[in-house]
Amino acid sequence: MEKHEQIRLFKERAEAVQTSVTDVTGLQQAFLYAIEVTKNQGGSTIAAPALGPEERSQLAELCRQAEITLLTENIRDHIGKIQTGLTLGDWGVAETATLVLDSTSEDVRIATMLSETHIAVLPRSRIKSDAMELESELSELMRSAPRYLAFISGASRTADIERVLTIGVHGPKELHLLILDEGQEQSSPVHDVQKAKRKPRRR
Amino acid sequence: MITTPSDLKTYKNDLKRALQNQFLGATLDNFATAFKASRTKAFEGIDLDTLIAEIAQGKDEAIPYLEELFAAFKARAEAVGIKVHIARTAFEANSIIADIARANQVKKIVKGKSMTAEETFLNDHLEKEGFIVTETDLGEWIIQMRHEGPSHMVMPAIHLSRKEVAELFTKVTGQVQDPNDINGMVKVARRELRQVFLEADMGVTGANFAIAETGTIGLVTNEGNGRLVTTLPRVHVALVGFDKLVPDLKSALRILKALPRNATGQLISTYVTWITGPTPCTSSPDGRKEMHIVFLDNGRLALARDPLFSQALRCIRCGACANVCPIYKLVGGHNYGHVYIGAIGLILTYFYHGRENARAIVKACLNCQACKAVCPTGIDLPYLIKGVYRTILEVEGKTPVKNRLLKRVMGNRKLFHFLLRRAYLAQKPVAEGEYLRHLPFFFSSEHGFRTLPVVAKTPLRDMWERINPRLEKPRYRVALFGGCLVDFVYPEQALALVRFLKDHNVQLEYPMEQTCCGLPAMMMGENETARDVAVQNLKAIDPANYDYILTLCASCGSHLKENYPKLLGEEKGLGVKVEQLKAKLIDFSSFMINVLKVKPEMFRKSGKKVAYHAPCHLCRGLGVTREPRELIMVAGMEYCTATDEDVCCGFGGSFSVDFPEISAELLKRKLANAEATGAEVLVTDCPGCVLQLRGGMDQKSGRKMEVKHIAEIIGE
Ligand code: SF4
Ligand code: SF4
Repeated sequence: MEKHEQIRLFKERAEAVQTSVTDVTGLQQAFLYAIEVTKNQGGSTIAAPALGPEERSQLAELCRQAEITLLTENIRDHIGKIQTGLTLGDWGVAETATLVLDSTSEDVRIATMLSETHIAVLPRSRIKSDAMELESELSELMRSAPRYLAFISGASRTADIERVLTIGVHGPKELHLLILDEGQEQSSPVHDVQKAKRKPRRR
Repeated sequence: MITTPSDLKTYKNDLKRALQNQFLGATLDNFATAFKASRTKAFEGIDLDTLIAEIAQGKDEAIPYLEELFAAFKARAEAVGIKVHIARTAFEANSIIADIARANQVKKIVKGKSMTAEETFLNDHLEKEGFIVTETDLGEWIIQMRHEGPSHMVMPAIHLSRKEVAELFTKVTGQVQDPNDINGMVKVARRELRQVFLEADMGVTGANFAIAETGTIGLVTNEGNGRLVTTLPRVHVALVGFDKLVPDLKSALRILKALPRNATGQLISTYVTWITGPTPCTSSPDGRKEMHIVFLDNGRLALARDPLFSQALRCIRCGACANVCPIYKLVGGHNYGHVYIGAIGLILTYFYHGRENARAIVKACLNCQACKAVCPTGIDLPYLIKGVYRTILEVEGKTPVKNRLLKRVMGNRKLFHFLLRRAYLAQKPVAEGEYLRHLPFFFSSEHGFRTLPVVAKTPLRDMWERINPRLEKPRYRVALFGGCLVDFVYPEQALALVRFLKDHNVQLEYPMEQTCCGLPAMMMGENETARDVAVQNLKAIDPANYDYILTLCASCGSHLKENYPKLLGEEKGLGVKVEQLKAKLIDFSSFMINVLKVKPEMFRKSGKKVAYHAPCHLCRGLGVTREPRELIMVAGMEYCTATDEDVCCGFGGSFSVDFPEISAELLKRKLANAEATGAEVLVTDCPGCVLQLRGGMDQKSGRKMEVKHIAEIIGE
């Protein structure tokens, strides 16, 4: 499948599960997006636990200007106060509009499960047609334990009362995916989000 | 507490009560309709038959090696710090989990949805041991508070109305809840359960997959509670059936492609989580989660070695076999299974929860094959259901009188046909025109919903030589497999065929030694008798002598095609004949459309408005769906599509004798749907369905449509 076709499918499938998808050209734009969403929802806290040092200070500066509290560790202590969980996704799967996120770090899990909105940056180059294409990469990750891998496709939902679809029963009420086209922003020092990710801490 | 009646009488009373529940009936009906549409949409662009075959093959390859897969899983899991346990029984599993909780000074436990934990009644056990257990899946939480079992494997609380949930939540919160504010009620659950999550010491989940290669478990959820249960508490225990073992991620991903699509019509469930080893956990003293996996046997490993029933271990618990089951739709899961519900529930109940719980429910199957057609792992559910029925009869050594009679009568064609002829004389005083107005004494009053037809004065076999012309140079030589109903009750259906085929220069033969196809015997669990008559029929009709074997009876046809190989496939010499028979077997419409290639010019265009009922054994048993509809149109009639054309009419052979109320309700719906089309005639292609539909039409008040076999109406 051609890249643009994959992206088109990804967006179409995302819409069907109420995931909002936006194109961004750099991390800076993604960070500003997250800050804006957080403020619009009346929140004041972003949890972004898995950033590399450079990106963390970049985001910290933007948050400071916008008067947003940025949490980068010990997220468990802040449960109940997290408006937005911000992560860098590992892969995307077009067929099901899935975000694949290595959630081995407990901070990442809490930030993405106990926030009101989850925003993830997903590099365009890492979107695949279907999950089978990721089989060897995922198996490889599973071979280095501990490992907690998450496929996330939309916001938390239930239909347990009279089959009425209701969003946000346990986890975030909204999922925003920011598709990062790295090729378009030459000035960005980060050409690969993976490099921007801090390695999950081993205990 | 779950109670399931063990005797038919109590069970039938339960069913009657369930039929009165209008909310349930309407909900499950809407659900079935919505499910059908969303499932079809979800599988768009996917070669479903191939996917099913691949999943089935993958499962079948793994099932004989579950212990080896387990050993591989264990080695891998232990290497990464998971403690792995084997529980031989449900009680053992519960005890192991309680011990883990005690050893870790656990007080409060949160649970993710797990059918396996339902199977072992884990909550009851843990609560008895003094732990506080809270279900966190919304539906499970609701039924836990109501002290009920799930009524569906995927949607445990589907039997409850918003009003009932609102009443429950009002009690729980002390605040009045508005039943129409479902969003608000979900918020209540979010709030209440959030607190429970934060206070829990231990999380218990099931698993959809246990991947041997990497020691990984996979959890599929929509709400995300699975992620919270495995993240917040310091201890995680997964209770996993041996049947969930798969060799590698690829096998799991293949199943994942089908599971959500077939369960809820979603392309994927919102959260799919893969856990390998104890992950970081700041609520744990050493910063790392304590992780245990308990593998549950409870009969699975023995089941894996069973030549027939091992298939049941393919099940991935999608729940679809309930969704499409006409009986489930009427009475709901609490009356259609024990813990496991739906078609697979009728089977698993016997193995996991015992004969007492299975005895009555396993009788309640129409053999309509709707479940089999929808199962993503290709389990032959109706066949296994009959297998359980038969096993119970055998184990209990109580052969019902009707079985003993059937064995004696059917095993001997001459006696059988003698009795059928006698039936004509016996019914004489009570016969009135075409229908029996007064039911024979052995039927109770509940059978008044449909008039039974009279046995014909002259059966087909007795008039055959007279009516069947010999053709000089026929295009085809075709053997007619009559079946009891066409031969002895509706010979006119065959007369229409004879006339029609003569015009098309097709030589029809009626091999006289043929007898009942044997399906009724098989439905009563009498496989030996079924085998004997199958041999008789193969002797009577040697497929090598004919171009086609045609039948007007979809039930006979699908029995010949599907069950003869099961009954005789392994036997020397006969297996080949069975394959030949299968290859040459054809139904009336397919013969018309695909062999004779009839054209509109051959018919007088009547424009008659016709509704169609698709017999279970034609559309699913023989897989014929296009041809009858096309034939109706080619023959110059107007085909009016009815709702639920392919849902069972409720006949199901002896089913309608055992469960007249269910049969009557299905018939009522069928007739209402047909009438709603405004058609004059209801056409079908199985004499069994004709019997049911015509009998129902005769009993009902108001407008009565004509009911015809497709061969009759085409011949007009
Ligand atoms: S064969 Fe029909 S009646 Fe029997 S379990 Fe399957 S769907 Fe239900
Ligand atoms: S038997 Fe088949 S249809 Fe029924 S729950 Fe299992 S996998 Fe699904």
